[in-house]
Amino acid sequence: MVALLFEGFEAVWLPCSLVLLVPGLAATIGGRAQPVLALAGFAPSMVLASWVRFSERGGDWPTLVIAAVLAVAAIALALPADRIRQVGSVGGGVLAGGAAAALWEPCVGPEFGLLLNTLPDRGADGLALMAVYGLGLLAPLAAAAAVLKLVPEWMLHYGEAAMNVVGAAALGVMAATVAVGLHDEVIGQLFRWSLG
Amino acid sequence: MGRTQLIAALVLIVAAAGLIAGRVALNDDDAATEAALAGGAETPGAEADAEAEETTTTTTEPIPEPERLGPAEEFAGLDGWLQTDADSLADFDGQVRIVQFWTFACHNCTATIPHLQGIYERHQADGLEIIGVHTPEFDFERDPDAVAAAAVDLGVTWPIALDPNKVSFRQWQPGRRFWPRTFVVDQEGEVRYNHIGEGRYDELEETVAYLIENGPGSTGA
Repeated sequence: MVALLFEGFEAVWLPCSLVLLVPGLAATIGGRAQPVLALAGFAPSMVLASWVRFSERGGDWPTLVIAAVLAVAAIALALPADRIRQVGSVGGGVLAGGAAAALWEPCVGPEFGLLLNTLPDRGADGLALMAVYGLGLLAPLAAAAAVLKLVPEWMLHYGEAAMNVVGAAALGVMAATVAVGLHDEVIGQLFRWSLG
Repeated sequence: MGRTQLIAALVLIVAAAGLIAGRVALNDDDAATEAALAGGAETPGAEADAEAEETTTTTTEPIPEPERLGPAEEFAGLDGWLQTDADSLADFDGQVRIVQFWTFACHNCTATIPHLQGIYERHQADGLEIIGVHTPEFDFERDPDAVAAAAVDLGVTWPIALDPNKVSFRQWQPGRRFWPRTFVVDQEGEVRYNHIGEGRYDELEETVAYLIENGPGSTGA
């Protein structure tokens, strides 16, 4: 189980993982000063949707559905009313997590491979092991949420609007690129930039 | 420091340690990718070392007949081949075929190559062929010259089928698609092995050895 967790950590640096990390980071940053809530929506949703798909309990999502879900997630994050900001943060995270899982075509190491090869025949323990892998893989998002929690509240409040716009806009752009079929190219460009 | 901030700091430290460890582990692969992106080719080195460490199968127990997993699909949507004159899966009928979906920027895919190379060297003369179906995840991996350069750099000596639009990738992996994914197709075109990700190289080699030694066998019922 530790090896699976560690392999999740390693996968953070794989280009295949960017398709999860970009919307996850967008939701966490854009979560209206509620990064932990946004992540609490994103991570379980991503793990659950991946488990459903990879265990053959559910099929592919049509591309336009994925784009629409990402667009709704962007709108949820951008909801202006203060009293529903928490709902918007969690909801945006849940939707972004589901859509990210639907787009995910993972690069698979030995431990994750052992899990995936047996996932259709496993029960709830398969879901638990997917969560262990996801814990490692989504560590950067936890780090981002932790950093945001360490920022003084007055400062966070001051930059909330800007972060909200950035997060929601990133999800909106992702929705548009998925809809027109340019998503792979955009993620690929991000990967090339990451290589310097 | 409050409790929440303490927990957040701990999460941050653990995450940072994991990220650093992961980055170190993957540094070699980044170098290979950068070389391929630059169109350059380097002399294989680390791969040869890894290959030398690979152990051969010394099983004395009889190997069970590999399960029959259905007929293999003919490749579709290919944009040519590298390192062969063949242009279809059927061109290799009569041989045991390892079909692997991979892409050169995928660390987990390139990690399998020294193991495949070892199996290839031990069984090619007896009737094994490996077909690497190069399925790019991103645009920059679609350039055939970059694939050819990566093949030299990584020590891929077997035929490569170019599947730039993921047509065969999706056809062979409906619903659940992964890099790498490795199949063994027997001499008559039936899939006898199907594995997601790295690992299980002994089982892969046992399957190949069984099929070479015993043939595809009767299709039975």
